[in-house]
Amino acid sequence: MVEEKSKKIEIPEICRVEGHSAVHVDIVGDQVKSVKLDVFEGTRFFERLIVGHHQDEIPHITSRVCAICSTGHVIAAIRAVEKIAGFVPSSTTSRLRELMHLGMIIESNSTHIYALALPDFLGFEDVHQFASQNKDEFKTWTDLRNMGSAIQTVIGGRPFHPVNLHVGGFSSYPAMDDLQKLKADLRVKSELAVRTCEVLMKFSPPVRRTSEPVFFALIPDGEHYGYFGDRIKSTSGFEASVDEYKTYLKEEAVPHSHSKRSSVDGEPIMVGSMARLSLFSNRLSQRAKGIFQATELAKGDHNTIWNNLAQAIELVEAFDRAIAIIETLEETKQDWDTFEKRQTSRTKLGPAQGSACGTVECPRGTLYHYYELDEKGNVTAADMITPSAQNTYRIERDIQEVVSQSFAEPEDDARDRVLTKNLETLIRAYDPCNTCATHMVSVKYSP
Amino acid sequence: MFLVRNGEKQVNECSPLPSIAVHGLTGCAGELLVILENLEKLIPYVWVSSFPFAQSRNDDDDRPVDIAFIEGSVSQPHDLARLMKIRAQARWLVAVGNCAVWGCVQRGGCRKEPVDSMLTATYGADSPIQALPSTPLDQHVRVDVKLSGCPINSTQLLAVTASLLRDHLPYITSKPVCLECKLRENACVLIENNLPCLGPITAGGCGALCPTYGAACYGCWGPSEEPQMEAMATILQEKGYALDEVMGRLFAFGAPDELFDRVKRSVPQA
Repeated sequence: MVEEKSKKIEIPEICRVEGHSAVHVDIVGDQVKSVKLDVFEGTRFFERLIVGHHQDEIPHITSRVCAICSTGHVIAAIRAVEKIAGFVPSSTTSRLRELMHLGMIIESNSTHIYALALPDFLGFEDVHQFASQNKDEFKTWTDLRNMGSAIQTVIGGRPFHPVNLHVGGFSSYPAMDDLQKLKADLRVKSELAVRTCEVLMKFSPPVRRTSEPVFFALIPDGEHYGYFGDRIKSTSGFEASVDEYKTYLKEEAVPHSHSKRSSVDGEPIMVGSMARLSLFSNRLSQRAKGIFQATELAKGDHNTIWNNLAQAIELVEAFDRAIAIIETLEETKQDWDTFEKRQTSRTKLGPAQGSACGTVECPRGTLYHYYELDEKGNVTAADMITPSAQNTYRIERDIQEVVSQSFAEPEDDARDRVLTKNLETLIRAYDPCNTCATHMVSVKYSP
Repeated sequence: MFLVRNGEKQVNECSPLPSIAVHGLTGCAGELLVILENLEKLIPYVWVSSFPFAQSRNDDDDRPVDIAFIEGSVSQPHDLARLMKIRAQARWLVAVGNCAVWGCVQRGGCRKEPVDSMLTATYGADSPIQALPSTPLDQHVRVDVKLSGCPINSTQLLAVTASLLRDHLPYITSKPVCLECKLRENACVLIENNLPCLGPITAGGCGALCPTYGAACYGCWGPSEEPQMEAMATILQEKGYALDEVMGRLFAFGAPDELFDRVKRSVPQA
């Protein structure tokens, strides 16, 4: 009997992603035996350390899970507590929260596209080369990112870990002048978002997964494309309230990673920009819809790499929607813009007892924050499920499919080098956020 | 070390510019983002030798650098090994952000429950995952500059860098948030609005951000110099907070063990 040749593909640390992760692929003969995405970011046990803290403290502490999506963690936590308290925020508060969230989408998507994903396609290796040799792209990224931070600074007080968003509302309304400046700036820079789409449409994906993923995303509140909602929907026809998340989303610890792995009915799912576009492209702004329809995505090509393009289409949508929100705030200014500069919108909520799940669509996908509060409004149990944890299983499936296809080509070192590089590009397209992914879960699921 | 202006010149491996490295241990990557966002201001003066968050190459850790910026706390053996390696290669080591300086919320968490118990509850009893109680960098290595913040103030980051490029250890104050709040002529939210503001014991640098927005400071930059923790605890107790709530608020964002023990001993049990 001839012993089958076995080998391993190892990527010891994937650069240009948030946090630390590695990939181990075991191959025996012409078969991929196992794929392990190892997230080795240190654990911080957020679900444990939040216990005992008051409902008002939750958003400020959970914000620290992740800087780039801190606004998402803050709003998810606020939505959970307000749901427990049965509190419905004013329409002005909801609009300002949405505007804040769009600031995060613009900052996060543009940073991922330009600083983390684009180097693979433009062929530069580090930020130094980026800044000195690709000046146009560097400038575009700077402009887009600054737009996102400006929005979050005007509404939230700083570009991340916002100080102005609280359970019950805002401690200060922004100044009308600042909102108008944002609007003018959004109009000028909006063309950069369109240009970003044009750049990404030109790059053809270097690898291709072979199975169609099942996409999950929140059904957005209201009529427009959006990031807040309380019901989840999938491309396989599934629909449920997020408060039932434990019945459909199974999370388990895997021995090879600090991140838990999520699955639905034992199968991987995909969340994020491409998932949202697959389900809700009909709600996009006119301009974003026009761009979407000219892409492979509209034809149903869900190659992983197109997630970068999906993020760019969401940039265009975010610009259009942010301008529309500011216009509405101007029209309704009698409701909130008084002469007093630092007018608070915050309703002081009494202790909320009970439990609920607050959800938002973060740049990388659906984020669940679940809390149980006691009669004093202090946390007794918490659970967070981040987008990156939900995508982990699907990333491993993608890698398996791509590596399996590579066996068709003659084996040599050059093939493996290209394969490794392409696998990194593939993983990066998910925009994995490992600082988020490691902060999972105190609730244990029985096997 | 000389201050050389790069201008439009192409820099390469033999760059005459001083070199920097930017590393993240266990944290939220906030400081990495602040540095990334300020890179265009740094690049004329420094050669970025290693910045794993923002590069494709993966082999730069062994090269000596002039300044190493490290974000995050030591929360697993892997962090500790990397910290030792970076320290050995760096002339100046700058701890950036609350995590690296004080241990941030993960250190606050370690005071509530032992790491082993959190690990078992989260990953199961037989998990091979290793975790350490979260600690700031100076518990393990010499730290030349401590720049706290959550996130750090980018002006302070640039000032620290400029100082070090002139071979000069920067002077960083950690006067309380109250000082900055008074300079901004804010009404005191602790007194006027009866909010549990931690401004009196928290290091400034943020410009008294929360009180300026009419909210209570929640201590995200870590303790100020000589923090009057016991007095702060008494004020919060007078406002009706139970002792465990007071301790939870005062130490949520990391502080040295000595301070925690001191307050714990001195505060009267309700």
